[in-house]
Amino acid sequence: MKAESAQPQGEILTYRKVQELVMGAMARPGRLYWVVVGVCFMGLLYGASCWAYQILTGMGVAGIMHPVNWGIYLVNFVFWVGIAHSGTLISAILYLLRARWRTSIARAAEAMTVFAVMIAGLFPFIHLGRVWIFYWIIPYPNQRDLWPNFQSPLVFDFLAISTYLTVSSMFWYSGMLPDLAAVRDKTSGIRKKIYGLLSLGWQGTHEQWRHYSMAYLLFAAFATPLVISVHSVVSWDFALSIVPGWHSTIFAPYFVAGAIHSGLAMVLTLLIPLRRIFHFEVLISTETLESIAKTIVLTGLIVGYSYAVEYFMAWYSGNMFEWDTFIWRAVGNYAPQFWIMVVCNVLAPLLFFSKKIRRSLAWLFGIAIAVNIGMWYERFVIIVGSMAHEFVPYAWGLYAPSWVELSIMGGSFCMFFFLFLLFGKFLPTVSMSEMKEALGAPARACSPGERT
Amino acid sequence: MASFRRREFLRMVGLGGTVAASGCSPDSGLKLIPYIFPPKDVVPGKATWYATTCIECAAGCGALARNRDGRVVKLEGNPLHPVNLGALCARGQAALQGLYDPDRVRHPMLRRKDGSSGQVTWEEAERLLADWILELSRKGRGERVVFLSGLLTGSLLDLVTEWREKLGLGEHLMYEVLSYEPLRRATSRVFGLEVIPSYRMDRADLIISFGADFLGTWISPVQYARQFALFRSGEGGGDRGLFVYVGPRLSQTAACADLWVSVRPGSQRLVALGILLALRQKGISMAPGPLAGAIAQLLQGWTMERICQEARVEPGEISRLASLWASAKRPLSVASGLEFVDPHAEETAFVAQILCALRPESLQLLDLERPWCLGRSSSLAQVHSMVEKIHRDEVDLLLVHGANPAFSLPEDWGLEEALLKRKVKVVSFSAFPDEISSAASLLMPSSTPLESWGDWEPHPGVRGLIQPVMGRIFETRALGDILLGLGRRLKGHTVFQEESLEEYLRKKWMGIHSAQGAEESFGSWWVRALARGGTWEEGTGGEVAKVLGQGISPGPSPPGVDPRLDGKQEGFQLMVYPTIQFLDGRAANRTWLQELPDPVTQITWGSWVELNTEDASRLGIQLGGLLKIRSPRGRTLELAAYPTDGVAPGTLAIPMGQGHKAMGRYAASVQGNPLSLVESGEGGRLLCPSGMSLEKTGQSSRFSNTDGSPIQHNRALAVAIEAAQWRRLLEQGSPPKLRLPLPEAYDPAEDFYPSHRHLQYRWAMAVDLDRCVGCGACVVACSAENNVAMVGRQLVLEGREMHWLRIERYWEEKTPRIRFLPMLCQHCDAAPCESVCPVYAPHHSPEGLNNQVYNRCIGTRFCSQNCPYKVRRFNWFTFSRPEPLNLQLNPDVTVRQKGVMEKCSFCVQRIVEAKDRARREARGVRDGEVTPACVQTCPTGALVFGNLMEKESRVSRLVKDVRAYQVLGHLNTKPAVIYLKRVINEI
Repeated sequence: MKAESAQPQGEILTYRKVQELVMGAMARPGRLYWVVVGVCFMGLLYGASCWAYQILTGMGVAGIMHPVNWGIYLVNFVFWVGIAHSGTLISAILYLLRARWRTSIARAAEAMTVFAVMIAGLFPFIHLGRVWIFYWIIPYPNQRDLWPNFQSPLVFDFLAISTYLTVSSMFWYSGMLPDLAAVRDKTSGIRKKIYGLLSLGWQGTHEQWRHYSMAYLLFAAFATPLVISVHSVVSWDFALSIVPGWHSTIFAPYFVAGAIHSGLAMVLTLLIPLRRIFHFEVLISTETLESIAKTIVLTGLIVGYSYAVEYFMAWYSGNMFEWDTFIWRAVGNYAPQFWIMVVCNVLAPLLFFSKKIRRSLAWLFGIAIAVNIGMWYERFVIIVGSMAHEFVPYAWGLYAPSWVELSIMGGSFCMFFFLFLLFGKFLPTVSMSEMKEALGAPARACSPGERT
Repeated sequence: MASFRRREFLRMVGLGGTVAASGCSPDSGLKLIPYIFPPKDVVPGKATWYATTCIECAAGCGALARNRDGRVVKLEGNPLHPVNLGALCARGQAALQGLYDPDRVRHPMLRRKDGSSGQVTWEEAERLLADWILELSRKGRGERVVFLSGLLTGSLLDLVTEWREKLGLGEHLMYEVLSYEPLRRATSRVFGLEVIPSYRMDRADLIISFGADFLGTWISPVQYARQFALFRSGEGGGDRGLFVYVGPRLSQTAACADLWVSVRPGSQRLVALGILLALRQKGISMAPGPLAGAIAQLLQGWTMERICQEARVEPGEISRLASLWASAKRPLSVASGLEFVDPHAEETAFVAQILCALRPESLQLLDLERPWCLGRSSSLAQVHSMVEKIHRDEVDLLLVHGANPAFSLPEDWGLEEALLKRKVKVVSFSAFPDEISSAASLLMPSSTPLESWGDWEPHPGVRGLIQPVMGRIFETRALGDILLGLGRRLKGHTVFQEESLEEYLRKKWMGIHSAQGAEESFGSWWVRALARGGTWEEGTGGEVAKVLGQGISPGPSPPGVDPRLDGKQEGFQLMVYPTIQFLDGRAANRTWLQELPDPVTQITWGSWVELNTEDASRLGIQLGGLLKIRSPRGRTLELAAYPTDGVAPGTLAIPMGQGHKAMGRYAASVQGNPLSLVESGEGGRLLCPSGMSLEKTGQSSRFSNTDGSPIQHNRALAVAIEAAQWRRLLEQGSPPKLRLPLPEAYDPAEDFYPSHRHLQYRWAMAVDLDRCVGCGACVVACSAENNVAMVGRQLVLEGREMHWLRIERYWEEKTPRIRFLPMLCQHCDAAPCESVCPVYAPHHSPEGLNNQVYNRCIGTRFCSQNCPYKVRRFNWFTFSRPEPLNLQLNPDVTVRQKGVMEKCSFCVQRIVEAKDRARREARGVRDGEVTPACVQTCPTGALVFGNLMEKESRVSRLVKDVRAYQVLGHLNTKPAVIYLKRVINEI
């Protein structure tokens, strides 16, 4: 990845300008904002009440059945885990790789990660038949000496997701400390108190900066393998089973590439409106978006290669169950979903080879949405499409999500946007300290004494 | 069977409890512990077994009822009873749900003139009925009281006869829908006796069945299925038998045949005639005497071309069958003898029996001295004349018990209408609500056979005893007690001396005792009979006695050619076939049977019409398309279409038994009753009309079928081999390489995890596909034993049925032939379900069982996802059972709540019980001592359960059979269910 300057060509950024822009976005919100937040919250509540209904009545209110025991709850789980990926990728991996275009978007991407992991982590619980005893999956000492089954990928999964949530939240929060202190210094009253509390007494001393940059680097180094491992572990939920269509060694890299693919698309989906609404054009330049688009081309190609390799391996293995499953994917009852997946994930991103398209906001946004949809269907095709058509033809069956499942899925999107909207208004959406660091020395000089 | 002694012991123990149970108040069994004053023989937590007789059909299989804490929770076959030798069919297993039917008539009811109905006491009801009878007797109209019942035999029949005679009442009709009258008439024409013969299929080496579904519904299916298994295994002496099925529908029985000759309904007799003709042409000697004359008369005017043309079969096919017949040592031909499936049933049966009469060896397979009691049911002509009498107001009082002609008689007789409009009063003694009882002014519900005393004589020489296996649960009385009570009220104690049916029965059996001339005192003989389940000639075990070999005559009516020749009419020929679930419809209100998939279509909860795929595509009919079926007389019925290669072109096949209007919540269906399409012919006979037409309604409906795919997509799950290949393998004698669930089968090159160590037991099952006839008895037995929830039509549609054991049905891809594959938890040694569960809910026991720990399950459903056999079932809801169906629940098995996974446990509770017993006796569990419910009830012995660690156990020997294989064995899950390939003789 080519490192590019975060500095836009047109306007000259200064410390003051950065601070004004970012803090400006945190100004008192208008009525429209509250309406949208309210709508999202109501959607979240509706999804939650659907879950309560499901707990009271039984899993039968969902569309899952025999043989498709895992429905869109787990599709959503994998989808959100995937979304969660690019945040850490951008903030940690690109940080280590010194890809400087990441600076302006890292914060928002990290927030997206944290929220997405939170939501992803909910879905396995929503999907549990007896969620009220979910904690039995946790390895905790107990008087009965009962431990979870460490052979089970679900235990790996639980550990991986909880680790990822912990690390990404801490990374996100610690990276925000200097900015929170800056906000503290510019606000008054109760807000000052809250931000003061959140900034943990940041004073901007040399000692603090030294510790801070070491911690940040450490977190980045620590989070980097997690990016790979979490989605690898998620893929093992499937790959370690014997289901044709799941039982494959390609799953870990395939899932990681897919996760990054979907995560980058989600970053675009969020940043393009955010940039427009907060007038962040100077902070988040078109070049940055273009860089993301270029990366999407890469991940799209990896994903496309994975699809092809899956087919090749199914054919080359000579395993009729495997081959039947893959043929059925392309021509069977879930063929529309399969072809949506191929078009959206592999073909649509190829348009980004054109510079014109990848610099056009409308195209960027449209293709990002397409990739999001495609990646959701990819999980659907993998999970549902394999289950529906397994070893024993007598036990084949078709699944369609019920209104409860769709409501809870809708609720999860509402929750995500609800959290992201709150983030957009109450926390600095672009890392001011890092932006300032990235400014060239001449620009810095324009605003002496402004350093926080 | 090693468990004989134990059973007998238990039954002896159980005997004393009988008195306690029968003397209970109606609410017995409704309360569990505490017993402040416990009944003498009821030990809480300890099961008591009572021997009784199942009379769900007239075959009268012996049954053992397992009573726990005052409630009967399971029925099993009585291993001593000569009819069934320990097995029961699906309907027999489900007799329990008759006892606990939530829609049963719970107390006497009076329907007033204004249509309202209300509860009355027994005293009031009895007085009312006595008054009616008295009034009629006074007017000299006692003869105008008709007693209509289902088939009765033994003491109860005697009692009814006595009661009628003493009170001076009119005729007694015993109406059975499936009375096999054409078979009776044909037997009379050939052998001079109007009876239903007993058959010895096990001794045959060739069976040609002309539409007789003897493995599912025909006369005595459990017995014949067992005989069929012997016939196949050659254990009856000789080689593996050949089975040819000639009929319009590939029924469950036909699915077990080596060859299915598809003909239109009614053409069965033409094929039979063709065989006869071919035999004569081949110069096979036709027996001398009257038979030769009869055959000459029969074949007059027939040529092979004509037969083949009219029956639409290839001449080669008929000559093939004829040569088979000629070369067989002991060929047997049986015919359905039911107008519902063969419009020329009598002619078919006639020719079939002539075929048997050709050879003395065949004649030995027919037993006319032990005819089935079903042959004593009233003829349809008698029933018809009764209906006519009702129309003419010549019947004043109709007493009904256990017969439901309002559901099954041809509509044009107008019985239902007559009952409503004519002055006849109907009094119903039936235990269940039904169509005829809904016309009754007085309901005096009788107890079910499981709550009553009685006896049953399926054929001479066998008398099964019926005893109450638990107290009554509702305010009902046994029919005998009702009659005796009425008798005493009308005529006093001097005329009706017996206080109760029990006393009456004892008296009758005293007579039997003295007739047998045993030295034993009656008291101990009676106790022994009760413990054993009845009395039968020792050593018979279905043994056949002499055969009436002489005097065969063509009978009074010459077997002329029916003018209604097949194939010349327009439109479809109707057939309404009895089903394995409901027989004639009597068992339709039972969830276990409603949810038991039909063996051939795999549809649950509902009805359909089968038609040939070619007919369907010609008429543009899709699967599930709603059709309006119209008979030539204009009767219509709407049913969804099921196009299949399993029926002959030009045939409409509809299952019997659905379409009830008044039988209860589960029997209620939106579909009509196919019996309403059956018409009355001449002389009170039935006529399944031809010339049926179809009309598409444009609507369609979904079938709640349980098969995801009708074929197995070359996956070699249900495997069959040709007989020749099988014999070659037998000669080579090398057992196939299996990955047995034993440490020997582990190979570091292929296995990641080390083997499990089993100390004493490694439970396993062998499933012989060559014996499995797909009857579904095991499925129902499993549901009964393991409290498996029935979910209803909607949830089956959603793919949420809960059966732990299913009979997968696969059509062969090229020929219209079916293979059955019982599928249950395979208790794999390297079980994929075990490794993926995060909380160890599937747990591998030291005995190799794959236990599902319900309390531990958190419901991730990963185990089900990872099970290649897809035998795990998830509780999508907390399923409940309406009262009193819940009383049936087996207290030894947890009732599962929502959110947990469940599956076959190899009936672990029975294993534990057997081990406890063995431990008390300081020994190991013996081979055959543990029988899971499915194994116990299998009529053909297709399932064998045992310990793989014991080298001499039956299951250990079977896994070395040359036919042994494992389903999906290549996955290296090391399943403990070993299948034996089906053998097919290519004919």
